[in-house]
Amino acid sequence: MNRLVGVGFLVVTMSLPLVLDDTRLSIYVLMGLAVLVVTGISLLMGYAGQVSLGQAAFYGIGAYTAAVPAVHGWPPVVGLLAAPLVAAAAAALLGALLLRLRGHYLAFATLALQLIILSVAAEIEFFGGAIGLQGIPQFGIGSVTLDEPREYAWLTWAAVALVLLLTANIVASRPGRALRALAGSEQAAAASGVPVIRYKVTVFALSAAFAGLAGGIYAFFLGYIAPGSFTIAMSVEWVVMAVFGGLGTRWGPVVGTVAVTLVVQVLNDLSTRPGAPSYAPTVLGYAAYAVLLIGVLLFMPAGVVPWLRNRVRRRRKTPDEPIRMIPEWPPRREQTSRATTPP
Amino acid sequence: MSELLGYLVAGAALGCTIALLASGFVVVHRVTGVVNFAQGMFPVVAGLAAGSLLSAHWPHGIAELGGIALAGAVGLVVGVVAIGKPGTPPLASLVITFGLGFLGYAIEIIVWGDQPRGFDGLSGVVTLGDVRIQHQWLLVMVVTAGTFAALGAFFGRTYLGKGLTACAANPYAARLAGIDVRRMGLYAFALAGVLGGIAGVLLTPLQSIAFDRDVALAVNGFAAAVLGGLDRPGTALAGGLLLGIGQTLFAGYVDGSFQTEVALGFMVLVMVVRAVRQPQAVAV
Repeated sequence: MNRLVGVGFLVVTMSLPLVLDDTRLSIYVLMGLAVLVVTGISLLMGYAGQVSLGQAAFYGIGAYTAAVPAVHGWPPVVGLLAAPLVAAAAAALLGALLLRLRGHYLAFATLALQLIILSVAAEIEFFGGAIGLQGIPQFGIGSVTLDEPREYAWLTWAAVALVLLLTANIVASRPGRALRALAGSEQAAAASGVPVIRYKVTVFALSAAFAGLAGGIYAFFLGYIAPGSFTIAMSVEWVVMAVFGGLGTRWGPVVGTVAVTLVVQVLNDLSTRPGAPSYAPTVLGYAAYAVLLIGVLLFMPAGVVPWLRNRVRRRRKTPDEPIRMIPEWPPRREQTSRATTPP
Repeated sequence: MSELLGYLVAGAALGCTIALLASGFVVVHRVTGVVNFAQGMFPVVAGLAAGSLLSAHWPHGIAELGGIALAGAVGLVVGVVAIGKPGTPPLASLVITFGLGFLGYAIEIIVWGDQPRGFDGLSGVVTLGDVRIQHQWLLVMVVTAGTFAALGAFFGRTYLGKGLTACAANPYAARLAGIDVRRMGLYAFALAGVLGGIAGVLLTPLQSIAFDRDVALAVNGFAAAVLGGLDRPGTALAGGLLLGIGQTLFAGYVDGSFQTEVALGFMVLVMVVRAVRQPQAVAV
């Protein structure tokens, strides 16, 4: 069954570039890149139970890692292979420090991290400063270069298929079991001999690697990057997509990203019609993200994919499967001590 | 020397506005356990609304109060959405407040446009020795001092304030004593809106405000609040002053373009050090 779905997914995504026109192809490529990042976020939020609001920083690191060598005449493939590795290394270093934080502290720290990394990048001459890097060559291996959006679409969605396969295998493996234990209860996992911090750092690095890979493709696809290309709003949009699709599910990232992108795209088309006020696209975009995010969190906290699956199960009268949502707060531990000692 | 004093005074004024924002974070987090990312929205709404009222020829004072009242109402709405539905885990509430920030963007752009706006505050300058002090800075400090004093009296002496403190100390016991914990949470959100609104109307004459200033404002406020572990308004005041003066000194003597990043780096450092030293405190 899973294999069938996988093959179907591959056939559909690989044949779509043949029928889409150039504008749509560009949206399709960006959507694929978002799926890559969201897969990582879903893994991080669903299994390590951590919210990262700074994922665009790793996207940016990947983009710069891919672009800088290419601009200096290195073969593009070197940059693209290095992009996920450098992003993962950066995440591992930062994560060793930051992942001692949890919950909202981590969310704020990752947000802060992104702001710091981007404004530092804007000051470094080697990275083109605030203006950014222009004239990034087309991606290519040997004598083959990709110069059409269609070819980038194939590259992107091949990467998506690879990352999805990798993620599914990781979750099913022995470390994946440890991760699932971690998501259930950190203390129980630690008591069973799971090195908690190391596993969290690994997942963090893995999610950064996916973001870095996406950023690398992005740099070659657009041919131009600047610190301003990687905004906080992007980081949040990815979280919206991950939450919408369902955290820690196999197809959640794909469903969430595609659905959210399509909704925003439809609204964008509507609001750029003649007669609409000039601020309409921005306003509708923000409003769509807000409503989708709040609606899903309040009424389908597990996300769309688990919600649909449980509906089907209910019809077949099989019991619901357990859902994975944004983790329940552990009870505030200071409370007991504070209650007994008067201030 | 006078240069240094000037920086200190300007920094203290900036720090006071940060402290007001920080106290908003603290009030909500103490009572509900939620970190309210929409905190940066309140000063923006209050500042923009006060500006509109002033240009509609409302007198100074009344217009600012109108802005603050609107911010309080917005705070209440944020609270209803974020914690109104029973059983919403705090981390989900956090992400919801982020979504509300986006919704705020949409509404603010429709109402006020996307360009920065400002209005005139107190004009005039006092000269003490060689130090020139804007009247607006003094106003900021006086109002902040008054607000924190009122906050202390509210939590310590009024029935409602004690109820809020009870929810902060032990929600379960508070419920047993007949306190409606969820309603107290909503009051906390409204109070945070008012505090953010005060910061907004004080800040707008000093630096004009646009809809997307909220991230920078929220980050600064959170950085100050973290110093007190997000639970103590007094430490938040100290944190705000420290951050404001530190940023102004850094901008004056080193580099003006890195102020916010310095605040952020400081915040991350404080959080990590706390987490390493006492894993339980930041472990939630």
